[in-house]
Amino acid sequence: MVNAFKWWWGILLAFGMLAAARFFLPLPFVNEVLIFSIYTIGCSFLLGRVGFISFGQPAYLAFGAYGTAFYLFYVGTNPYVGILAGVACGFICASIVGPLFVRLRSDYFALVNLALAVIVFYMMQKVLAEYTKGDNGLWFLTNIASTPVLNLGRSSEFFIFATLVAIAVWGLYKYLDDTIFGACCLATKINEAKLQFLGYSNYKVRLLAFIVANTTTALAGALYAVYLGSVSPEITAAARAADPVVVTILGGVGTLFGPLVGTLAYTALRDVLSKFIGNWELFVGFILVFIMLAGEKGLWGSAAPWLQKLFSRGKAADAMGGERR
Amino acid sequence: MSIEILKASSVTKRFGAMVAVNRVDFTLYEHDVAGIIGSNGAGKTTFFNLLTGLFAPEEGSILHKGVDVTRMTPQQRVARGITRTFQLTSTFDTLSVTDNLVLAYYRAFHKASMWNLFFTKMKRFHDEPKIISILETFDLLPVRDRMVKNLSLGEKRRLEIAMAVLAEPEVLLLDEPLAGLAESEIKGVLAVLRRHIGKQTILIVEHKISHVQDFVQRLMVMHEGRVIAEGGYEECLNHPEVRKSYWQIDDSATENSSNG
Repeated sequence: MVNAFKWWWGILLAFGMLAAARFFLPLPFVNEVLIFSIYTIGCSFLLGRVGFISFGQPAYLAFGAYGTAFYLFYVGTNPYVGILAGVACGFICASIVGPLFVRLRSDYFALVNLALAVIVFYMMQKVLAEYTKGDNGLWFLTNIASTPVLNLGRSSEFFIFATLVAIAVWGLYKYLDDTIFGACCLATKINEAKLQFLGYSNYKVRLLAFIVANTTTALAGALYAVYLGSVSPEITAAARAADPVVVTILGGVGTLFGPLVGTLAYTALRDVLSKFIGNWELFVGFILVFIMLAGEKGLWGSAAPWLQKLFSRGKAADAMGGERR
Repeated sequence: MSIEILKASSVTKRFGAMVAVNRVDFTLYEHDVAGIIGSNGAGKTTFFNLLTGLFAPEEGSILHKGVDVTRMTPQQRVARGITRTFQLTSTFDTLSVTDNLVLAYYRAFHKASMWNLFFTKMKRFHDEPKIISILETFDLLPVRDRMVKNLSLGEKRRLEIAMAVLAEPEVLLLDEPLAGLAESEIKGVLAVLRRHIGKQTILIVEHKISHVQDFVQRLMVMHEGRVIAEGGYEECLNHPEVRKSYWQIDDSATENSSNG
């Protein structure tokens, strides 16, 4: 029991604080932070653990969102089933493109994913317009049935559901950190030749990491779809392809809480700065340059060793010096 | 009669116009402790890479216990019991010492399917007797929780060899395992490796002959991609071509001048 609490306490504290923030921050802001942070954690895992930078995350977000949207628009009304449909759609699409993409070097991997995002955008906007309603998108807010226990049609109850999902997602990624698979992911990033000569398959490790990461991204897409009650091709616009990468770097690459801290900072900067400055992205750009020059640790990556020292009362924080978190 | 474990026949590797390994024949017998020596650029590491599957030869074949492994991937060769270390220390620097060993241990003694990797925790093996024993043997117990990037070069070398030995491979291929080590560390590493003589087949590539003098039973000397001598330690060292290429001692010139 004590061990279980020790294992979970960081995650529970982080999302407990976010849940408390819900009472003095606007609900749409907190909901967006929750969904966006789930969106980012897959990208952070790929970049930080496997060494793959992806500018195609909007494509996987769209697979999840459209999977849910098609279900709720054409098939059924239960939002939970819709979310499952979105996740399944993301899993299937990642399993189809993954075997091709993970064979590529990191730079080509980034570009081929960006190309996929562009392809998905035009597929949804033009080729499949008969089903996706083109630029107008699919509107299904009124189709979503009210459900017992947590009615996802209500923002306040959606918030509780999204918090629980986020805790489960963070639990999954923390668990992966502790597994041999998690160590293999890091090993394939650090020294793929060595991993190969230990007898492991770099390809299989990368493929599984790719599928896990992008199914998580699809989950974020499915949550977006239910939360907004609509999906349009804009969700996979190439112009927003760098967003999860930016948030990952802002929060701290390869850290467990980097995506959450990065999302909080990014969303807050966007919402606050955009009221005063027209080109708020310029400001974010300067912050990113500063973070890169300051050692690429990001906000959480810089704060974590201090917090660890604080909580472990000065014990050597050797483990925090590396990429395992 | 000794069993042939690894057999390279007329193996050739070219990089553009340069012939890095030129029709090399070499046989490694069961429980052999053999060495490959040669000056820089002699083709030792390239030949080693051909044996372990990092490169594929243009010509020739490599057999492992009679099975053609010439086109097999490194992963397939590891599964057959052929393990190697690298000339430049090769470890996972942002993992702990124990985690590095767990990765080597798990693949060697468990079925490393993706399912198993996904559902098995690293911590389960941290106190595995084989891992503790290897940590003690290689004097790594005091640094077991340290991140590998924070180790000294000697400690990293010991860790890399420990990872190779831990897997209990049939064939242990060591690429310059003593490079960059202090004399005391060299003695330590060789002492550990001596314990594996008679249990495993060992092939060691080394630049400095003196390091492996008391260790290897058989030598192969390479020069400019060719094998110029093969046999016992003294036999190889007294070979005229070895003296000429290794120490620039030209016996024929000495003979002529003394005759003259």
